[in-house]
Amino acid sequence: MTLSQLSLEARQVDPSLPLLEVDQLVMHYKIKAGSVSAVDNVTFTLHQGEAIGLVGESGCGKTSVALSLLRLLPQNAQHISGEIRLNGENLLWLSAEEMRQRRWKDIAMVFQGAMNSWNPVYRVGDQIREALDTHYRGVMTYAEQRAHMEKLFAAVGLPADMLDRYPHEFSGGMRQRAVIAMALSCGPQLIIADEPTTALDVIVQDQILKELKRIQADLGMSIVYISHDIAVIAEVTDSLGVMYAGNLVEYGPTADVFARPRHPYAYLLLRSTPSITGPRRKLAPLQGEPPDLLNPPTGCRFHPRCPFATERCAVENPPLEDIGGGHKVACWHWDQVPELEGLQR
Amino acid sequence: MTVADRSMAPSAPSSELPLLDIVDLQMHFPVSRGLFRAPTEFVHAVDGISFEIAPGESLGLVGESGCGKSTTGRMLVKLLEPTGGSIMFRDRDYERDVAHIKGKETKEFRRRVQMIFQDPYESMNPRRTIFDTVSEPLAVQKVGNVPEREQRVLELLRLVGLTPAENFLFRYPHELSGGQRQRVAVARALVMNPSFIVADEPTSMLDVSIRISVMELMAGLAREFQVSYLYITHDLAVARYMCDRIAVMYLGKIVEIGPTEEILSRPQHPYTRALLSAVPVPDPSQKRTAVEIKGGVSKPVNPPPECRFIERCPFAAEVCRTNPHPPLELRGDRHYVACYRVDEINAAIAAAAG
Repeated sequence: MTLSQLSLEARQVDPSLPLLEVDQLVMHYKIKAGSVSAVDNVTFTLHQGEAIGLVGESGCGKTSVALSLLRLLPQNAQHISGEIRLNGENLLWLSAEEMRQRRWKDIAMVFQGAMNSWNPVYRVGDQIREALDTHYRGVMTYAEQRAHMEKLFAAVGLPADMLDRYPHEFSGGMRQRAVIAMALSCGPQLIIADEPTTALDVIVQDQILKELKRIQADLGMSIVYISHDIAVIAEVTDSLGVMYAGNLVEYGPTADVFARPRHPYAYLLLRSTPSITGPRRKLAPLQGEPPDLLNPPTGCRFHPRCPFATERCAVENPPLEDIGGGHKVACWHWDQVPELEGLQR
Repeated sequence: MTVADRSMAPSAPSSELPLLDIVDLQMHFPVSRGLFRAPTEFVHAVDGISFEIAPGESLGLVGESGCGKSTTGRMLVKLLEPTGGSIMFRDRDYERDVAHIKGKETKEFRRRVQMIFQDPYESMNPRRTIFDTVSEPLAVQKVGNVPEREQRVLELLRLVGLTPAENFLFRYPHELSGGQRQRVAVARALVMNPSFIVADEPTSMLDVSIRISVMELMAGLAREFQVSYLYITHDLAVARYMCDRIAVMYLGKIVEIGPTEEILSRPQHPYTRALLSAVPVPDPSQKRTAVEIKGGVSKPVNPPPECRFIERCPFAAEVCRTNPHPPLELRGDRHYVACYRVDEINAAIAAAAG
């Protein structure tokens, strides 16, 4: 890579070309009591310049997928099968050193809790410089690094003199902006944003989401959003995947999934999401508790809580099938799920 | 007093008087300037707010972090001593200003009020069983004996949907999920049959599907037992489902207060408008109006006397700079707004919309 590729200018994107392909990923955590089936057969494709969202409740495996993409899983995680291809190269076959070379440069991350992403005793600028030093040692002079960082800060709407400040001098929203600047520092094609706005107030959240959207469009970036907040995902993504108990149960264009959720879980999740607009409809709570993934339910993992479940659901696990227009659902009875009438509009 | 006296019979029908009548409530925290120097600066966390809560009513207190909503809640249950103002509390056989009561009087008052905290993982002692946790208020207030308390706890666990209750009685918090723990917290809050509960973000740590069932539980219990809530939340969508009225706080002041649907459909204060337009909508086909204000909330350390919102307000004018913080004025059905320029702003926005 040369320096010119580091410039903060729009990358040529071809939306028909796949950037990231996750293919039948299976991942377990080994604990004393046995093996926790955290990610089970997850498949999706992210095209160049696209933003996708993974939503689900705690323990559904969305963060495990994100950490798998970065190969930052804890020691007890076991990759069982499947592939993660970035530009056709399987990340899971890379050595630790090769993977280290890819992080920040090809894939960068924006983690939840910007408060904890910074080392409190170093200036923010010096911490971004560290990432640049790792990947461009000897390529950039000190002054070039500084100029680049000032451009990064300008791109996320922070004044350049904040580079010389310590993390505690930043407010929550500013710290999250600085995290985004750091993620952009080495010119990645892909950003993984895990709950990027969860700890922020709504007005600041709105600003950060707009900033990410603008940067994505301006720089031709691809983003994987991970969130429990379905409303946030609705605003910033092109495609949406709904996860439940380690499975990707529904996947498709965001507008389609919101207009016609076909998996009973996605349907019930939308029915139980309060909104400040539209008529004040009755919310439907989901019955039961999420399953224990040490011993996941047989067949479809949602069947014990599903109002549409039949005997077949307890035995056979439904595959993720295309029901038209790239909208995919893993359910035997997707055609019985009612319309969300009067719900969203 | 025995447990039977506090049985779950619904309270008497509400009288005309409000349960809580809060007038000019203040909480100024001193900013430390060193060990031997008297503080000269104060954080005006809550700066002269007044409102009422009717029996059985649920009032939502919304705002960004640092606006003083939690401080307000803590003062109402006497976890903080206000630096000024009065809290008139009228219950069945009880009527007094509780703002500055101490010791035994506080203990007596706390039979009638309870609090539900945000984090069900931190609001319970991990070494005490569910029975210990739920029955603690009874033990502190010396109500009933152990078998009676056990009956009462069983009754409450059933009420909050933890069945079979016998199986939960002697379990520990770590054996329960987040939703179950928050149900235990609700049971603990109800054990003294209080007339008023302060709920500080009770569902914000819970997953969507579990959140709804806890919200429904709390709303149902409020209807059944005539419990009043002060429901503190940053989530306006949740407030819409839980609250009869909403009060919007900004830097220690209530800037707008009114019936929930009225506030959501006809916000009038520029801050409320901004707050509402910043809430993401779970529907990609809808476009929100753009948020007009910038930046985040600052700390109200010795704030200047004029309107608190002036720095971020897109409509600030001369009248806002030369006058003190505007008082709450009636602008509709029980709808009060603290802004000098409401009429101009409404006209400007109506004109812009065509």
